[in-house]
Amino acid sequence: MAALGLLCLDPEDRQKLTLMAGEAGHLVHAAGRLAEAVEVLRESRPRMMLLVDGPDLDAAQALREVLRISPLMPVVVALKRRDAGRAVSLMRTGAAEVVAPPWTKEGLQSCLLKTMRGQGTAFSIVQAPARRSGAALFFLAAVVFFGAAFGTSAYRRRERMALEASQVRTSWDLPYKHPAGMAFDGKDLWVADWFSQSFYAHDPGDRSIRRMVHLTAQMPTALSFAGDTVWSSAASGAVFRHMKDATFKVLETYRGAAPHAGGLAYDGLYLWTSDPVKKRISKRLTDPSLSVIATYPYPGSGEPAALVFDGTALWSLDSLNHQLLRHNLERPDEATGRFDLPEYASGGYKPAGVAWDGRRFWTVGEKLPRGSGPARLFQHAEAKP
Amino acid sequence: MRLPVLIRFAPEVGRQDGWGRLEELTASSARLSTASALARGEKVFLSFQLDAESFKSLPAEVLYEEGDDDGYRSAELRFTDEVAKRRLARALIDVLSR
Repeated sequence: MAALGLLCLDPEDRQKLTLMAGEAGHLVHAAGRLAEAVEVLRESRPRMMLLVDGPDLDAAQALREVLRISPLMPVVVALKRRDAGRAVSLMRTGAAEVVAPPWTKEGLQSCLLKTMRGQGTAFSIVQAPARRSGAALFFLAAVVFFGAAFGTSAYRRRERMALEASQVRTSWDLPYKHPAGMAFDGKDLWVADWFSQSFYAHDPGDRSIRRMVHLTAQMPTALSFAGDTVWSSAASGAVFRHMKDATFKVLETYRGAAPHAGGLAYDGLYLWTSDPVKKRISKRLTDPSLSVIATYPYPGSGEPAALVFDGTALWSLDSLNHQLLRHNLERPDEATGRFDLPEYASGGYKPAGVAWDGRRFWTVGEKLPRGSGPARLFQHAEAKP
Repeated sequence: MRLPVLIRFAPEVGRQDGWGRLEELTASSARLSTASALARGEKVFLSFQLDAESFKSLPAEVLYEEGDDDGYRSAELRFTDEVAKRRLARALIDVLSR
């Protein structure tokens, strides 16, 4: 049960809202004038305020007054007349939520719950201790003992956390949630996000976003750089060849060339694509039809979610087993090395893209369950694993 | 980010305007929390202010919607106007680059 302050000039409406909020389990301190509401705010310290907006009371003015006295107070406004523009204007002024008429118990309750869940910081007043008796002294001694024990444990924990903080950080949250592929262009790390239909260029030094290229008609699944050309694949199965200019202008579209393409890699001569659904890797010419020269079964037991060429070998990212696989370039169905990625061992992220910057591998992972949090960029050990 | 947003519906539907908040916003999509009922595939028009820039009646399609724990509707929206998407992308880059 939460204490709720109510400001409503009309006695009938006041009674109605008091009853509804009471039935929903809230303790209501009702006020008929702004001065009374201010008194309620100061004396009763409600968890939130409910103001009624109508011809007899300008809720915007009352809202400003409430927030002036108590800036962190969540304020809900109940409209007497439905006006969406007015509702948005009140929210911009600082109202947490706005309830539309006709008021119902369910509508009011969901609005109050939403406000309580999403707003503010709870404060409480610390009561002065009562006079101590013998039993109280014993209790105090016990508290001191456990307090000291807790204090020591907290101090050790703080030391441990400080030690951890001093260690080099190797993973960072990204400001988007649905990464699909990754590549390095010699200067920046590029991540393709399918949901926002964009490529983001990150500075490998401080991971800040240097550039964003929005694709208006493409949901990207992978990308790869080849000099001044950019290759990308889309969920539609199309492969695109872009010019590496400000807008990544599409030079060529190969419709249906690579359905389910999860990874793209260019080795200087051939374009490689991976298909996580059919679990195979294809070698293609960069001719007008992206002709497939050979197709190889994927040697891992999981799914080849991404591909990268490091200058000498082709690598794939196994998203199910959290592994990097090194392939024999002549026969990619033969894995010449399998390397675990312990960063993904907790199962909190699914690897979605991999890049090689000349010294180390970088991977990007999607938070699980899908879309439940920001994507994460991982920097792996400097030497090849 | 919880931007207040005005929701208008297509005129032929004859529905009253609603309001809500944008929980997430990208150049081509948004997540909306509102007390108004929404249907999958429905067309809506959003008006909101991002920093100093106003967006009026931005057309969007409801991709997915579900009820949350509080009784509100949470919906994934996709913006459908390419020009508006570019303008929104520019405004977002401006905000993100600060």
